[in-house]
Amino acid sequence: MRSSKVAQYGLFAALAILMGYVEMLIPLPLLVPGMKLGLANVIIVIVLYHMDAKSAFFISLVRVLMSGLLFQGFAGLMYSLAGALLSLGVMALLKKTRKVSITGVSVMGGVFHNVGQIIVAAAVVENIKMAYYLPFLLVTGVVTGFVIGAVARLALGYLQRRT
Amino acid sequence: MKRLDLILIAGVLVLAGVIYLVFLGSAEDGGKAVITVDGQVVQELPLDEDTTYQVETPEGYNIVEIKDGWADVIEADCRDGLCADQKRVRKTGETIVCLPHKMVVTIEAGTENTVDAVVG
Repeated sequence: MRSSKVAQYGLFAALAILMGYVEMLIPLPLLVPGMKLGLANVIIVIVLYHMDAKSAFFISLVRVLMSGLLFQGFAGLMYSLAGALLSLGVMALLKKTRKVSITGVSVMGGVFHNVGQIIVAAAVVENIKMAYYLPFLLVTGVVTGFVIGAVARLALGYLQRRT
Repeated sequence: MKRLDLILIAGVLVLAGVIYLVFLGSAEDGGKAVITVDGQVVQELPLDEDTTYQVETPEGYNIVEIKDGWADVIEADCRDGLCADQKRVRKTGETIVCLPHKMVVTIEAGTENTVDAVVG
């Protein structure tokens, strides 16, 4: 592994953890449990396009484990892990088809992040009625995913001019 | 944005709408009406038993009626009578408020379907 790659991994992982922390500082009216901005996903989308799916997977894993240990504790870690991995899997698949732009990839990433979390939540409380929140989470996932896609596209423009 | 982007986004939004409608139709009916006066719970009435209950408050009374799974305030001696004008309720989280008497009727889930979870 080239040292520049190592540096990139470290940089992006640190940024992703930082984004998760920044998100916690922003007070949000919690209309629905599980509603999140998903700022960290900006970094994951950037890595997915700037590097590759494998890198995005490892950086996502590092981010979830680190911020889980630092801020959330074990229960929060489970939700985050389910959401992050499902989201990344869907995004990587959609990107591979080459028929979906970065916006669509990011939107579906946001949506499936929420879907993954609610599946775990429903399993934990053994109550399928958690699905009642699903419509709201789907819509918020679309909105945040759309914004995140736009931010990632802009950031990638700068990155590609520099490297 | 490509064409498939729009299809995916539209698909998710439609799905959200469908799930919303399905769940509003069935799963969200509450189990009981909780009556509070000045923040204190004074009575809980299960929605599946037709009954009327007279709430006595320091300011006056309200009569709450449970009928066919709906909760309604049918009579009160408060000065504006707005509580009696409010529509009957049955879904979780819906409320009828009588401000002059500080009386609130809230629909809550019955014990069998309490959703109580924190998602991080």
